[in-house]
Amino acid sequence: MIEIKNIAKKFNEAQANEVIALNEINLSIQQGELTILKGASGSGKSTLLSLIAALSKPTFGEVIVDGQRISKLPDNFSALFRREHIGFIFQKFNLIPTLDVYENIITPLLPSELNREEIDQRACEVMEKFSISHKKKIKVLNLSGGEQQRVAICRALINSPKIILADEPTANLDAFLTESFLDFIQQMKDENKTIIVATHDPVFFNLDFSDREINMKNGQII
Amino acid sequence: MSLTTPDVIALLILDVLFVFFAIISFFLSIRIVKNWDLSSTSSLQYSLEKQSYLVATVIKYLFFLKLPLFIYFVFTLDLVANVIPGAMCAAGVVNATPYGFYLFIIKIINLYLFGIWLALHHYDIQHPGYPYSKLKFAFFIVIFFLFMAEIILEVMMFFAIDPHVIVSCCGTLFCAIETSHVSSFLVLPDWVILSIFYGSFILLLIFYYLKNIFIFALANILYLATALISLIAFFSTYVYELPTHNCPFCLLQSDYYYIGYLFYSSLFIGTFFGIGSFVINTATREKVDFWFKLSMLFNSCYLILVSSYPVIFYLKNGVWL
Repeated sequence: MIEIKNIAKKFNEAQANEVIALNEINLSIQQGELTILKGASGSGKSTLLSLIAALSKPTFGEVIVDGQRISKLPDNFSALFRREHIGFIFQKFNLIPTLDVYENIITPLLPSELNREEIDQRACEVMEKFSISHKKKIKVLNLSGGEQQRVAICRALINSPKIILADEPTANLDAFLTESFLDFIQQMKDENKTIIVATHDPVFFNLDFSDREINMKNGQII
Repeated sequence: MSLTTPDVIALLILDVLFVFFAIISFFLSIRIVKNWDLSSTSSLQYSLEKQSYLVATVIKYLFFLKLPLFIYFVFTLDLVANVIPGAMCAAGVVNATPYGFYLFIIKIINLYLFGIWLALHHYDIQHPGYPYSKLKFAFFIVIFFLFMAEIILEVMMFFAIDPHVIVSCCGTLFCAIETSHVSSFLVLPDWVILSIFYGSFILLLIFYYLKNIFIFALANILYLATALISLIAFFSTYVYELPTHNCPFCLLQSDYYYIGYLFYSSLFIGTFFGIGSFVINTATREKVDFWFKLSMLFNSCYLILVSSYPVIFYLKNGVWL
C-alpha cells in the first residue's frame, strides 16, 4: 500500500524562481491497484512518481510504502528500496546505449547477491515473456522504439517488483505498440502488481481494467 | 625567526583548509543538533537530513586525512630536526617550544576521538533511520574544540621554533638524571617495568575472555600507558642496542628501519579498538565483538614486536643490556 501524506515538492525553494511542482497532495493506493495519473505537462505527475520511487525527497510531507517511510530514507537505503520494490519505466526508456539487450536488462541485479546463473535465469525468463530473447546480444541503440520499450519493461521487471511506475510510457510509441503496452499493463495487474501510470495519452483514459484515474493540475489533485 | 621548511608549509596550508571546513561543519552541526527531529516531515527536517549527509561527508574526509597526517607530522618533525641545532630527532623539536609536548598529547587524544567519530558515523549509515546522527554531530561539536586546539598549537609550535636556538637532544631529555616525568620511570628496575607491562597484557587477556567491555577499555588505557613507559625505559635500548639511549622518537628513523611506525601503529590501533569498543557499545548498543578481536590482535602484535628485540639481542649476544 502506498500512502502519500501532505506532500509538497518545491524547486529553488525561497528563491525568485521557485517552482511548486506538488502542493499538499494526499493519496492512498492499495496493493494491486492500477492508477492512471492524468494531466498536462508540468502538472506534477512525474514529480509524484519520482517521490513514490524514492528518486527524490519531498520538500515536506511523507511517502509511506508498505509501512516504510521511504521519504525519510537516506540515499543508500532509497537505492536499496528501489532495487527491491520498484520497477520504473521511463518515457525515453533510459537504456544504456553502449550495452546490449541482455546487459541492460540485468543492470538492476548487478549489485544484488544473486550469482551469475540466477541472474541469467531471471533475464531469460523476462526476455522470453516479452519476446526479445532473439535480440539478446544486440546493442540497444540498434533496436526499434517498440523493442527498446520491451527491453525497458524487462529491466523494470527483472527484480520482480511489487510496484510498477510508468512515466509517459507510450509517448514514443505508435498505435500498435501502445496496444501491446496496454496488454502488458493488464497482464501485470492480473499478477496483482501495483501500477501507476503517469500519462496524458487518452488511450489510458476510461480503461475497463483500471481502478482509478486521478487528474492533476498545477501540482494538485483536482 | 620562525621555521618554514616545505614540509612545515605543507602542514600549515592543510591546517588552513582544515580550519575552513571544520568551522563550516561546526556551525552546521550546531544547527542539526538544535533542530533535529527525526519524526518530523517538515521542510526544515528534510533540509537537515540533506545537510547532515554533506556535513558528515566533510567531517569524514577531514578525519580520514588527519589520521595519516599524524604520521606525516611525526615524519616532518624528524626532518625538521636536521635544521635545528642540538636536535637529533623529533624529540628535540617537540621540546624546542613550550607547545610541543601539549601538541603531541592532544594529537594522540584526537587520534582516538576522530577514530571513534568515524566508527559512530559508520554505524549511523548502516541503518535506515539516522539512529546516531544527532549523537555524532553533538560529538563533533565537542571534538571541534580539541581539533582547533590541535591546529592552533601546531601553528604556534612551528612559528615559535627558532632555528638559531640550540635545543636539547633526546639523549638528554630521556635520561635517568633528568627531572622530567618520563625520566622518573627510567630509574625503576627493569623487572618492575616489565612486570607491569606484561601484567597489563595478562589483564587484557583476562577481560577479553570475560567480555567485560568497561574493564577491557580500562585495561587498554593501562596497557597503553605501560607499553609507552616500557618502550622508553626498556625495549628501546634493545632496538638501539645501547643501554643509555631511551628515545621514543629515534625509533621512527631510517637507522632503525622505521620500526617505530610499526610499534606505534599496532599499539594505537590495538588500544583504539579496546577503548573504542566501550564507547561505541555504550553510545549505540552495537555489537563490538569484532572490535575486541582486533584490539587483542594488534595489542598482541605490539607485544610480540617489542619483545622480539631483547630476545633476539640475547640470542645473538648471550647477555642482557
